[in-house]
This record gives sequence, structure tokens and C-alpha cells, in this order.
Amino acid sequence: MFDIATSSSTGSPIPAAAGIGLRFPHHQQVLETKPPAAWFEVHSENFFGGGTVRQTLLNIRHHYPISLHGVGLSLGSAQGLDTRHLARLAELVRIIEPGLVSEHLSWSVVGGEYLADLLPLPMTEEALAVVCRHVEQTQQALQRRVLIENPSTYLQFAHSSIPEWEFIAEVARRTGCGVLCDVNNLYVSADNHGWNAATYLESLPADAVGEIHLAGHAIRILEGDRTVRIDDHGSRVAAEVWRLYAQSLQRFGPKPTLIEWDTNIPTLDVLLDEAAHAAELIRQGFGADRAFAA
Amino acid sequence: MPSLLEVQRSMREQLLGALEPVSERIAIYRNTVLSTLVNALRLSYPAVQRIVGAEFFEGAARQFIPQHPPGSACLNEYGAQFAEFLAQFPPAATLTYVADVARLEWAVNRALHAPDLPALDVSRFECLSESALATVRFAPHPSLSLLPLKFPADAIWRAVLDQDGSAMAAVDLNSGPVFLQVERESYGVQVRRIPLSAWQFTAALVSGKPLFEAIGEGSQDPDSQISALLADHLTSGRFIDISWTGESPK
Repeated sequence: MFDIATSSSTGSPIPAAAGIGLRFPHHQQVLETKPPAAWFEVHSENFFGGGTVRQTLLNIRHHYPISLHGVGLSLGSAQGLDTRHLARLAELVRIIEPGLVSEHLSWSVVGGEYLADLLPLPMTEEALAVVCRHVEQTQQALQRRVLIENPSTYLQFAHSSIPEWEFIAEVARRTGCGVLCDVNNLYVSADNHGWNAATYLESLPADAVGEIHLAGHAIRILEGDRTVRIDDHGSRVAAEVWRLYAQSLQRFGPKPTLIEWDTNIPTLDVLLDEAAHAAELIRQGFGADRAFAA
Repeated sequence: MPSLLEVQRSMREQLLGALEPVSERIAIYRNTVLSTLVNALRLSYPAVQRIVGAEFFEGAARQFIPQHPPGSACLNEYGAQFAEFLAQFPPAATLTYVADVARLEWAVNRALHAPDLPALDVSRFECLSESALATVRFAPHPSLSLLPLKFPADAIWRAVLDQDGSAMAAVDLNSGPVFLQVERESYGVQVRRIPLSAWQFTAALVSGKPLFEAIGEGSQDPDSQISALLADHLTSGRFIDISWTGESPK
């Protein structure tokens, strides 16, 4: 298990407040107007190169805490981690000194090819061992704790034997990693597979939850009028997901909460508005009246 | 029970293999994979997309992707082979110059995203003898590309991205080859036409030939100022390291 006591970040910590997923169209506006976001999160892989792209992130980092969120490490790859990718991530972490570093419970790489999506894992003992080995390898390489995000999935494997919530709790227990609870993903997967979202929330280790994600999703009709919810990060957070978020805050306490939006990216004002709503829910739950504790 | 690797290999075939019918749920993943990679190519090849149109571009990209899937999750670096693919792509055969525009856009993309590396410290030459100097090889900065193109792709590229109709009309496809130097400078990526002799000398250095051999390649032009050119390369940070054979440094 990774020794959390000896790992620390020298960069600004991420506060238990609302942040925004920062994408290229808003980089200049953020630098010029310094909007009231508590923190920003970026996709790690977009900053593996140098030049003005990385310099812009270094400039933004002077004004806001930064979280690095990876989409390509592929912790669930049966054939092992791409050590070059891991080395580049470690270099970025060294330079940016992010408040948080996160990756996904999924896989993307097989046979040296990157399949550009967060693909579902069979929930088996073999996959659990693979993921734990790779989380430990990552925490060693980065010399810090990472958070692992629950995925949104559209299919389940017939040979899966471990509920996803138990799988994640077990990865956290064995490796000492944290959990990034994506409430939208949780809602989408629970609805797609008929899981009980409350059971999922109850099963996650509250102490290990270090961050929450919120985003919009789409609904698609399949053959036979069945529906599937798709995590496309292309709209405002759904009302049901806001409700589940409020339950998450009751369960986990105030946590850094991120608004993500990646498809048809709106103006920064829309993202700030969504973040303000998350901030309001955090405040209601954990303001002076301590409503959640009551 | 299938192993994890068997599951992943099977899923790879369903996502990128020949367009065999897949389940609706696998199709959700396949759509995401393909649209993410098409978008990555669009970002790297904006002028090619304007020339061929969005629909043609997407069709070409969807044929390219299964043949050349990314080898890394860093999608800024995806699509190196797209220009050669377009050069061999029958539906693009009448657009003779589009592969050259793609070669230029790839060099621009490389320059944009290359890592930050310090320029060669010129004091390292001080310890070299005359004979060692002859064998010096230079390691180029990864942002630097030297392109020999059959068509005036730089003029086409600028006209297309600026949507400048009169500049486009002024392009003469038969004006002969252009020799380009593409690199990142502090204020952005620069694309310059340079004289043939300077291009030959620099391209020889970039390809790792020793200094005296590179000087031979650039000597057709009697006025070539090789030492001034080399000084400019070094002060501009176009090379980051040297190596040599023969005697060790003093």
C-alpha cells in the first residue's frame, strides 16, 4: 500500500468548493478575466507537450489551484502500463504540482494501440489484481496518492463477479488510493444496469473520496424502445444528478466538486453558473447551520 | 471465462476491426472512439479539412483510423501518417497538392506541441579539436522540420486558413518546389521558405550527417554562407545537442 503520510503536494491544495473543467476555448478568457472559480481541472494528456499550451497552464496555475485528470493511462490494461506515458505524467506532475491527480477505472490500450475511450472492465478478480498493481505502480512513479474515478458504462460482462462499488472500495483499500466519485457516471451506470444508486454511494469509503465530478448526459433510444443514458458531457447537470449529488454530500461531507463539459462547450458563464449551483449545495449542507450534521 | 486480455483483444476488433456488425451497446463505444479520433485529426489538419470539405475529411479519416490507430494516448501527436495516406487515397487523387498541405500541417502541429528543450550550449564546441569538429553531428530540436514540397503548400495553407480568395487565386501550382523550414519560436510557429543550399545543409544536419558532410551537401550555391547559417541555427536554438567520433574533448 502507498504510504500517504509521506506523500504531499507542494502546489495549492484543491478546496472543498466548486471548480470547473478547463478546456482550450476558455484558456485566454480565464487568464484575462480571472473568473470566480475555486479551482480548475485539466486533462493531463493535453499538456504532455511544451510551448504556449503548457506555458498557459503554468500561468493559470499562478492564480488557481490545478487538478490533473488523466484520460489515457489505462489502469485496466491486461498487458501493463505504458511506462513512457507514466513518465510523461510524472514529469507534468513535477512541473505543475497539482492539488489532485486522478485517473479512471477503465482501460483504453491493448496491443500498443490507444482506443480513444474509457472502456469498461469485466469486474473480476483478475481485473481487480491488474488495476491494483497499476495503481500502485502509478503512485510509486508519481510519489503521491491518486484518485480513481468510477466510469459510466453501457454494457456489463456476463462473467463479472464483483459489483462495481465493491471493486472500487477494494482498490482503495488495497492500494491506499483515493476515490473520485463521478455522480453523473454513477447515475448513468445505475440507470443503465438497474443498480441502486444509494447502495453504490453507501458502499464507497467516505474517507477515501477526495473529489466529486458532475456533468450532463444524453438519453438515446435503442431497439425495442429501451433507453440508454450516455455520458457525453454535453449539457447542464440533470435534476436527478443534482439530487444524487446532494445525497453524496450528506454521505461524504463537503468535497472538491467539478463541473465537466466537453461536447458543444458553452460560454464560461454557463460553467460558472453550474459551479455556483454546486457551491450553493455545499454551502447549504455545510454552512453555519450544519444542516447535514443535524 | 475469458481472460482480461481476451476481452480487450475482442473489444479492439469490434471497435476498430473491419466494419462487422456490432451490438448497439458496442456501437456507442465505437462512435466515441471514431469521433474522438476524427476530431483529433481535424485539429491537426484544419487546412486539409477546408480544402476537401468536412464530409470528405470525415470519410477519409474513418478509413485512416483503423489502418493507423494511435500508439499513444497523447492525441496531439496522433496522425503522423495522414499525409502519406492522403497521397495514396484514390478519392483525393485529383487534389494533387493536398498531401503536401497535410505534410506542412503535420510539421506545424509537431512544432506546436514539441517539448520545451534548451538550446545547445555553444561553449561545448570550445573543447573540440579541428578534426573532431569535422565529425560533429547535431541533434535537432523536436519542433524543427525541413520539408521539400512539390507544390507551394505554404501559400495554399495560409490562403485557406485566412479564407483569402485572392491569395488562393494567385497560387500557381506549377511554380515549382518549395523548401520549407518549420519551427516554434517564442511568438508561435514559423513557416519559412529558405534557399535550396541552406535547406540542403540544414536538412543534412537534421538527418544526423556529420558537419563536413552537411557542408558538402549545401555547397552548390557559391554564395552560401555556411558559417553564418550555422551561427543562426545555434542562436535560434534549432539544435539541442552534439556528438562526435574520434578523440575525446580536451
